[in-house]
Amino acid sequence: MADPVPYTRAGFWRGVAVAHPMVAGVFVYGIAFGLMAEQARLAPWQAVLVSAFVFSGSAQVAAMGLLAAGISTLSATLWAVIALVLVINARYFLFSATLYPWIKGLPARQIYPTLFTLGDGSWMLSMRAYDQGERDAGFLLGSGLGSGLSWVLGTAVGSVIGGYAPDPRALALDFLLAAFAVAMLVGMIRRKSDGMILGVAIVIAIGFAKIGQANWAPVAAGLGAGLLACLRYQEARPDGE
Amino acid sequence: MANELFIPLLMAMATASYGLRIAGFLMMRVMPVSPRLDAALRATPLGVMAGIVALAAMNGGLAEWLAIALVMIVQRISGNDVVAAFAGVASLALIRAYG
Repeated sequence: MADPVPYTRAGFWRGVAVAHPMVAGVFVYGIAFGLMAEQARLAPWQAVLVSAFVFSGSAQVAAMGLLAAGISTLSATLWAVIALVLVINARYFLFSATLYPWIKGLPARQIYPTLFTLGDGSWMLSMRAYDQGERDAGFLLGSGLGSGLSWVLGTAVGSVIGGYAPDPRALALDFLLAAFAVAMLVGMIRRKSDGMILGVAIVIAIGFAKIGQANWAPVAAGLGAGLLACLRYQEARPDGE
Repeated sequence: MANELFIPLLMAMATASYGLRIAGFLMMRVMPVSPRLDAALRATPLGVMAGIVALAAMNGGLAEWLAIALVMIVQRISGNDVVAAFAGVASLALIRAYG
């Protein structure tokens, strides 16, 4: 009953074009990760493989922190890293669920490779585009790969220059994720009712951090915001989107 | 890092990451998509972003607060995420160096 979902080259290049402004930032972030991987004693080719196959800045950074802190046994390290990635990337579960209405009509050979490239930036850009009427699922792949290549290249550069680079904290690169989050948040707020959702999310995040669960805080804040929107849906009149 | 250690680590991280990327989609397949669930899922990014910002603000000092405020202002003026984010990063680096 639904119209077939377009998945075209034109859509792909629209995604690449929209992701283009992120390339420089992602490249620098990739360099920062490469530096951290070098500190965790990964060879440059190993760091590049991690960036290509895990494809997730925050999880990779946290994992390198864990590896740099020291490795006991292989199995203990494996479980710790798996738990860390699952916790930090739990939001991807929400992201991919959110994409369901858009891509459910695609064949599996297009759905699963496209979902591989899903990340914070590409998802936010895609949801914004979807809100503005974009329906071509090629856009998803384009926005994911558009900045992804610079992520991998940045990793290579960072891990090669290794110890010669200045302290990432002195360059305030530890603030890059938060800075992007602030910018995108400001860009996403459109309705008055978003204010209450924001307030609840902030309270939840701080609460989780206070009880020593900072890694869960963004996930919990996202779930709390979703729950609130779900509860408020009843009273709010659907605005006919 | 020795490959005996690296290969299992890489596979574990990649599987966990990709598993989450497809799990949400697969779950939606067995659960009906109500407008209410759609509203909930649309609100989650605001929550996640607000959570990340709240943690950064909580863990940061005056310098980070100033940088966050600057990102908001530059985003409002320029409408460009990257310009706004880098303005914040650059200002924070300057404050740390000379503040």
